Amino acid sequence: MGEAVERLTRLVEAHDRYDIPTADLRDAQIGAMNERFQERVGQIKLVAHRAREAGITEVSSHEEVVKLLLPHTAYKSYPENWLAQKRWDRLSKWLDTVSTHRVPVDKVSQADEVDEWIGKLAENGFFVSCSSGTTGKSAMLVASRDDMEWCKKEAVATYSWGSGVKPAQDRRMFGMAATAHVPRNLATGEAYTAALQDPNYERFAYPVPAITVGCLTQMVVLRKAIADGTAKPADIAAFEKISAARQKAVDDAVGITAQAVVEARHSKIHVSGLWAGLYNVAKAVREMGYSAKDFHPENSIYVGGGLKRAKLPDDYREFVYETFNIQPERNYQNYSMQELHSGMPRCRVGGRYHVPPWVVPLILDKEGNNLLPMIDGEYEGRAAFFDLSLDGRWGGVISGDKISIDFSPCACGSKGPSIRDNIVRYADLEGDDKIGCAGTVDAYVRGVA
Amino acid sequence: MNSIVDPKKGAASDAAAVVSAPFFARGELIEGNDAVHRSRDLGVNFATPRINLNRIVHPRTEVPPLLNVPLSEIIDFLVETGQRITAQSNPHLQDCIDRMCATHILPRAVLENQIKGAAGYLDKRLLNTVVQRNFANPKALDEWVPYQDYTGRRSFVRAFAPRLVHVLPGNSPGVAVKSIAQGAMVKAVNLFKMSSSDPFTTVAILRTMADIDPNHAIVKSMSAVYWRGGDDSVEQVLYRPQYFDKIVAWGGGDAINNVVKYLGPGLQLVSFDPKTSISMVGSRAFASGETLDIAADLASADVMVLNQEACVASRFIYVEGDQAQVDRFSERLHKRIVERAAASGDARPLDMDLREQIETMMMMDDDYRVWGKADGRGCVIRSDEPVEFHPINKTANVVCVPSLDEAVRYINVATQTVGFYPFDRMAEYRDRLASGGAQRIVRLGEAGPSTIGNPHDAMYPLHRFVHWMAHEDGCAS
Repeated sequence: MGEAVERLTRLVEAHDRYDIPTADLRDAQIGAMNERFQERVGQIKLVAHRAREAGITEVSSHEEVVKLLLPHTAYKSYPENWLAQKRWDRLSKWLDTVSTHRVPVDKVSQADEVDEWIGKLAENGFFVSCSSGTTGKSAMLVASRDDMEWCKKEAVATYSWGSGVKPAQDRRMFGMAATAHVPRNLATGEAYTAALQDPNYERFAYPVPAITVGCLTQMVVLRKAIADGTAKPADIAAFEKISAARQKAVDDAVGITAQAVVEARHSKIHVSGLWAGLYNVAKAVREMGYSAKDFHPENSIYVGGGLKRAKLPDDYREFVYETFNIQPERNYQNYSMQELHSGMPRCRVGGRYHVPPWVVPLILDKEGNNLLPMIDGEYEGRAAFFDLSLDGRWGGVISGDKISIDFSPCACGSKGPSIRDNIVRYADLEGDDKIGCAGTVDAYVRGVA
Repeated sequence: MNSIVDPKKGAASDAAAVVSAPFFARGELIEGNDAVHRSRDLGVNFATPRINLNRIVHPRTEVPPLLNVPLSEIIDFLVETGQRITAQSNPHLQDCIDRMCATHILPRAVLENQIKGAAGYLDKRLLNTVVQRNFANPKALDEWVPYQDYTGRRSFVRAFAPRLVHVLPGNSPGVAVKSIAQGAMVKAVNLFKMSSSDPFTTVAILRTMADIDPNHAIVKSMSAVYWRGGDDSVEQVLYRPQYFDKIVAWGGGDAINNVVKYLGPGLQLVSFDPKTSISMVGSRAFASGETLDIAADLASADVMVLNQEACVASRFIYVEGDQAQVDRFSERLHKRIVERAAASGDARPLDMDLREQIETMMMMDDDYRVWGKADGRGCVIRSDEPVEFHPINKTANVVCVPSLDEAVRYINVATQTVGFYPFDRMAEYRDRLASGGAQRIVRLGEAGPSTIGNPHDAMYPLHRFVHWMAHEDGCAS
């Protein structure tokens, strides 16, 4: 790690880390990005390719680093067929093109299932997290052991700033969603538990099996088989059965979780999950006759992700807060993405997401090709970031998000850059009358449950 | 994004870029800039009038205007339309091309050729052939045709004029000409829903027709408007069997899903499905340097149909040979694609996703080989199984197969045209290709042309369009 990278990432627990004006950071950030570039250009094949194509040998400006950013889709550029065909050798070689450290292809390629492959990679120090590709491909993000340690530290520090909750091991934690069983979630889950969970109690075990990478990719593989015409009716029926069983486990979990949280109501609790699950548990708690007045006034919450297409009443947030007695100031929100290892917590006064000094925001045009000139006041564009903390893969990534950024101070007083709470995905904004006679077999694949 | 934006809010630079797209409602031109929309591909704004829904629905209490106009007269009218479309002096078409250059991804020359080429469809012999191939007895379009079965029961059958909504695609302006002609020949009441990348051509052609005779029944049978696909405020109102019999729609995915939710008794879908076309090149291509050049050139012609925007354009080329042979083919194919791309003046950059996936292939150099770059000037990727992305914008995937028999398993329900070389092996493969889902097998290099009147999308469309009506007339005593 270079000197500038070290200096910026060390700020992770600095009290005033969101209070440093961009102007004061600019040179250090460019220097740090160049340090990262000089280290990685000989290590990450895809970055070397980018640098060669763009003729870049040194990063001395934001414009130059833009040419070296990888779109978020780079981490799903492997052919899905390899998952179905269990071509772990090829997937390992693919992973190697985006990995800082050399993937020992021969050591990890003998595996029956994807989870076994992921396990072998972890044994060798390659921690692969997988995004949920409910309808599309899953991104496979490789990280190192150092990255896992960083995630533990960063997640709790960011949470603490955003929620105002001091980690004091004085809460009982209630996870209300099945978590994806991927290294990064395991690492941050461990860190949150160590920071928040009252050691006098067992952490509540959500009664639905964790979702492994195998579960995540199963649907993707089936979808591909349907498209290819190789899926037999019995394959689809079998999958529908597994989905139904899983849905039943999720439905049954609501009552069990509500019961447990009601029993713990006199303790300080921390609830986490996705909106749909939280709402269902809250509803069950209300039906049992309990609400805010029965819960501790210092309860806290962390909700991951958006609605994920769940259909809930308009006031679902208030309903959840009011059920568990969550005060508005303890409502933690965080903007991040799988591709980054750092979050941007929302401040409680300005309601904006704050970018830490080791994450360089780069606002691009809609197409993601060009850097927009930095202007006074708020402006919008495609979000790209360079996360200087990343070790196991490249830190520069172009997201699919449209954001509004402001480099001037926020109402909360922080002088660093901040992002408005109105983030949308460009994909969700695209028109839906894209009609042509040319098309793919995807249009012929009806979804599976 | 493709939504209505407040015209007053448009910034000064936007305002300058707004082009007008008038509507056409049962013979009348409707002008106005009430709503501003954004084109799908280029994000350019265009302004349209408000849609007057009552004016574009023909009441069922009135028989369709074309019902008793003889087919021969309709065809004559279409032929004259074709002549006027190609005439240099046609102000509507010139103006249309000018405007379309702002909203469409294809280069001007390609668009001009498209429209002129499409006008070639408006030929008397051609149109007559289309009708004859679609109907066992074309007279049913003009009159109630008598028929008596073997029990002596008598009836009259009519291919009655339907009420059609045509949901037009945006990639090929030529479809507008064809749809108008087909709608006219079945004497339909037609509503054309234009696309955001081409909200001009249909109206330009209808205006050309109105110049011939503004009061002709053919002109009174046609309306063309734009709304954003999936806009419930329009579709929820219009897509009802009380107003239309059939929705003739192109495309898949959201475009079709939006339509499908309105189908039900009395409102049917005739879909022209989104398709992928491929090529199959047998080992005889390697007989000599000359045959190899020929095969690569023919394949490049199929790849570059409409600069690969069309469904007939080839995207995957299965080549029977070993890797060294297939690489030789790929190299020549790449050269020809680059030449054709350069000649058409088309160097549109590739989408970020596609670029990314191609660059990944370049990294995986044992399993893939890439000729050219993902720079929009033409690119060929060789692999041992088809790539998972959709090769588009002058991108061809050459798949190395030991035998063409191996390529058959890659045929699926989305496969449309299979260009084949050598030609004398086609008969050996056609049954298996049809069984897999394919719809056409053609000689390599001839993906574009088709025998006049042949089925499209595995059907005879005109036959599907009409409302088959029977008049039972009792038994002969």
